[in-house]
Amino acid sequence: MRVLGWLGDEKLSEALAGAATQIGAELTILAPPAGGARDEQLFAFLRTHPELVLAELRRGALEELRQETRARGIGLVVACAGEEEARQAVAVGADEWLITPATAGEVAGRLWSAAARARRALAPGQAEQVAEHLRYEELLYDRFTGFPTLPVMLERGREILERRGRLTLLYIEFVRYSKLEEIYGWQKLDEVLQTTADAVREFYDERRGDDEHVLMVSHTGDDDFIFFADLPAEQVERQVNEMAAALETHVRTRVETGHGEDIAGLFEIYVGTTTLFRNPKVRPERLIYRGIREAAAAARGVESRERSRKVADLKETLREEAVYIVYHPIVVTATREVYGYEALARGRSRALRSPEVLFGVAEEANLIWELSRLCRKKAIEGLEQHLEPHHLLFLNIDPHDFRDPTFRYLDLDELGVEHPERIVLEITERTAITDYPKFQGYLREFRERGFRFAVDDAGSGYAGLGSIANLEPDFIKLDISLISGIDENFMKQNLVETMVQFANDHEIQVIAEGVEREEEYEAVKKLGVHLTQGFLFHDAQQTRREPAGAPTRLG
Amino acid sequence: MSATDSKHTILVVDDNRDNVDILRAFLESRGYVVAEAPDGKTALAQLEQVKPELVLLDVMMPGMDGWEVCRTIKNHPQFGGSTKVVMVTAKGAFEDKFEGLRSGADDYVVKPVDFKDLLEKVQRNLAARERTA
Repeated sequence: MRVLGWLGDEKLSEALAGAATQIGAELTILAPPAGGARDEQLFAFLRTHPELVLAELRRGALEELRQETRARGIGLVVACAGEEEARQAVAVGADEWLITPATAGEVAGRLWSAAARARRALAPGQAEQVAEHLRYEELLYDRFTGFPTLPVMLERGREILERRGRLTLLYIEFVRYSKLEEIYGWQKLDEVLQTTADAVREFYDERRGDDEHVLMVSHTGDDDFIFFADLPAEQVERQVNEMAAALETHVRTRVETGHGEDIAGLFEIYVGTTTLFRNPKVRPERLIYRGIREAAAAARGVESRERSRKVADLKETLREEAVYIVYHPIVVTATREVYGYEALARGRSRALRSPEVLFGVAEEANLIWELSRLCRKKAIEGLEQHLEPHHLLFLNIDPHDFRDPTFRYLDLDELGVEHPERIVLEITERTAITDYPKFQGYLREFRERGFRFAVDDAGSGYAGLGSIANLEPDFIKLDISLISGIDENFMKQNLVETMVQFANDHEIQVIAEGVEREEEYEAVKKLGVHLTQGFLFHDAQQTRREPAGAPTRLG
Repeated sequence: MSATDSKHTILVVDDNRDNVDILRAFLESRGYVVAEAPDGKTALAQLEQVKPELVLLDVMMPGMDGWEVCRTIKNHPQFGGSTKVVMVTAKGAFEDKFEGLRSGADDYVVKPVDFKDLLEKVQRNLAARERTA
């Protein structure tokens, strides 16, 4: 059972919490807004169908609340300050009322009886009607975000068009969410989308408070949002730019606090806009549909302009050698002693801070070899300074790098790698290797010179154990998605156990990546994983060396 | 064997009669209540009727295969979160375990079933279920 409390009184909140525990209900408390404004949050929550609502009596709000709860078969208990208020509560037809202060026991009793009454209040034929109503509502309001869907938008948009003769559309596009899903899995993406939706919702609620012109927002079901706004023509451009910037900052901050800068740094927000004018010859809904398409195209236009700016940034980065390297420790699982370090590159310019973005831009601009060369050079330059002589250096290599002639024949020698046996080249499983025999040939050349190999991101779903065996690696690095939460997931434990057995049979060492909690460390230790890497082993000193919030992957 | 174990219901899903009989005999001897289903469709109907705490699910079945049944169970709005699914498969392949992870299975036993291993996995999943309930 779910109970909603709509109240500001602290004593009553405590009593309600006690009552909820007594009757085994899940409790949500919303505070009514100051002043007499309609509380959208309250009505949005009612659409998620709690069984019971305990609300403080507020002038003006009670009638609507009663209507909304009755339409859904939700029991309503009204908290009153005295006899007079109690009479009002009865008059609008509350299922139950109570006079404050009240004990937890009394609140529980009132909740029970309101629930019973709400059930009885449904006439036999009405139950079906309520169900119909709920289905209908689900169509009109996105269940994920509570935002109205397109049919509702069209209706209200048409209203604005007719009344004001003009309607501004903002299309907000979120880019690179697919990358996030690839790396962290769909569960993470769902969480991030939820945070994004919450952030957009907050932004909308806040704006609407002091800005009459922002009218509504809709969610297109995937990850994009559409705002309808009624802005004066001469201000459109300025206001849209301001809004877009403010929204981006707000969403980014929320995602950053909720999920860390790694994830926040991964995606970008682009806003496209268009203004529609009433045209008596064209049906308004068609105008709006076209407007949405135009605004979406405009958002993509902004995206491509931004991308060319990023390419310019990248060229500058390459010219100035503006990347820095962080060294993440890899420890021996049994002893927690440092075994080696993985070198990870970051761009110095803010837009290229995230390695995913940095390498993504380089790939699009066909500058991946140049970037890889720079990163390797920097990583090896710092080797003597950051590593003890017995530590290994793990370097990320893209399979494409092997086709780079300077990498294959010159680069590493020129950089002064005197001890190739100290270097482990990490090859990601994420990039599909198309020509295996040729690739194995490249690997052989390096192996003969003394380098060692690791298969990175193993278990991320691109290759089975068979193709890992083909590469004859010295190390297998287990993907973060296999390690995160492994202490609670037997399937992951089974998988890692199998991989450790396989590795032991082939004299390969397994490295668990992304260990963040002690419980995860204990789990991989128990499973016999040889080496471990992750935030758990980043010491304070090392964190200080990194500029604030540097992201974690790739190099 | 503690008293609470005796209350748990396990749904055994397998199209092979002999397998079901063997598993039923073993699990009942350990105090579990056993329900059975010969295929995925029946299993999903049973899920709502007998509300098992745990499902022992064979992978190779005619019609809906075990992975698909597992995905459907795990997506069930009411029971998906609280029902543990242990896959039973003839192969011990890595790819199978990976598929298990993707379809949301909780654990995995290999055929021919080793009873000690089975009991251990049934117990640890029921214990995990208690912790999160």
